[in-house]
Amino acid sequence: MRKGFAGLLLIAIIASVLFSLRAYNKEPLYHSQSYVFGTLVDISIYGESEQRAKSLSNQVLQDFQRLNNQLHAWKPVNNNQPSELGALNAAFAAGKQPIAISPQLVDMLVNATALSVKSHGMFNPAIGHLIGTWGFQRDEFSAVVINDEKIKALVKSKPRMTDIVITNNTAYSNNPNVKLDLGGYAKGYALDMAAHYLRQQKVKNALINIGGNIIAIGQHGNKPWRVGIQHPRKPAAIATLDLVDGWAIGTSGDYQRYFILNGKRYCHIIDPRNGYPVQHTQAVTVLIPPQPGAGVLSDVASKPIFIAPVADKAKAAANMGIQYFMVIAQQPISQRSNGQQPNAEQSNILVSPALAKKLDWLDSDVKNNSHVKVLTLR
Amino acid sequence: MVAITYLFQTLWSHQHASKVQIRLGDKIHATYDLNLQRDVHVHGPLGDAVIHISQGKVRFAKSPCHNQYCVHQGWLTHAGQVAICLPNQISLELIGEQKPYDSLNY
Repeated sequence: MRKGFAGLLLIAIIASVLFSLRAYNKEPLYHSQSYVFGTLVDISIYGESEQRAKSLSNQVLQDFQRLNNQLHAWKPVNNNQPSELGALNAAFAAGKQPIAISPQLVDMLVNATALSVKSHGMFNPAIGHLIGTWGFQRDEFSAVVINDEKIKALVKSKPRMTDIVITNNTAYSNNPNVKLDLGGYAKGYALDMAAHYLRQQKVKNALINIGGNIIAIGQHGNKPWRVGIQHPRKPAAIATLDLVDGWAIGTSGDYQRYFILNGKRYCHIIDPRNGYPVQHTQAVTVLIPPQPGAGVLSDVASKPIFIAPVADKAKAAANMGIQYFMVIAQQPISQRSNGQQPNAEQSNILVSPALAKKLDWLDSDVKNNSHVKVLTLR
Repeated sequence: MVAITYLFQTLWSHQHASKVQIRLGDKIHATYDLNLQRDVHVHGPLGDAVIHISQGKVRFAKSPCHNQYCVHQGWLTHAGQVAICLPNQISLELIGEQKPYDSLNY
């Protein structure tokens, strides 16, 4: 009896000592949040002095701001000066007169074109006119009047990345309907740029998150960086995974930029083949192993998978060389059991075998397998 | 012993949130205990947002933003959960004894 009491007391003492140690031993983790690219940028740096971490993080944010000004699809830098991308779009619309562009933009366009070809045009940054028609080239999104004739005409005008001709740091387009919108590319490019800069500065451990797209350098102390994957219909993470040095993760979802019209959700991801927002998919997450351009791939590769119909998603992933992916698809009404609301937003989860091994599920519905089916693609 | 271990794990499980950190732009605006019921008014670039704290939970109750995504998110209850109002540059993050993850992919 007395022994038991002493044991209890000992545990209580050890516990309180451990907790106070933890409270006083502040770990060398610097964390900053800022708003760039119309989204939240979240930078964690581990193992540097606060002063150094702060100055490095500020430099990264400045670089992001510059890139944002350069690549903005609809905002000019100021009243007299369009963004570099805006000027290029104006030149494309005006005719075939080549204009000078920066070597950095040349690299981006060459790379984006290669990825667009790889995706069979499902990743298509040339459809800026369509994106604008749907009202997604604004700071806030409200329902638009859907103009079917205009959408049909824009699809028929076939804007493609391969219409763009680049020679000696100049560019023109063979198709005046090409309007670049790098909204599905720039954040990934910025991740690669920031990771490169921080590694150059000999930073050993950092985690950079731009609007949900994340790249890891090193780890968080003695354990890997850990990231949560947002549930598309709940204010919580659906799963977590370790993001090891050099890996990147990206999600395309229908829940960050969308509007609801007559009970239907219209998201910002538009199928270039019919000009309409995709309505069969809620989220696609891709995990990218270390490689040059891992950040870009984490941004780009989720789009073709998102746009592909559920039956073709595995093929779309294979086209992009993606092994690790998860699809959260809208559950077809035919699969719903009786008693469910016809408009209940049920989800089917499809996860590739390679990614399934890395995920720890948090969502109780997934754990209980009650409302959500976990399917494995073969 | 088993019971005590269980109690420790339950009370200090990673899921349990005790505080909410409110950020405005790039600054930590304030951190509040989740057990005290209150409405917090935060003045963002678009105007006043009201954040409601009650019984271990927190939510955006009112926001001047157009889409109201932040309000539609509803209650946050577990450590690590976040709600972000991009147009008004206000974010909420629930904080517990342990962080279940370092950053959120969305």
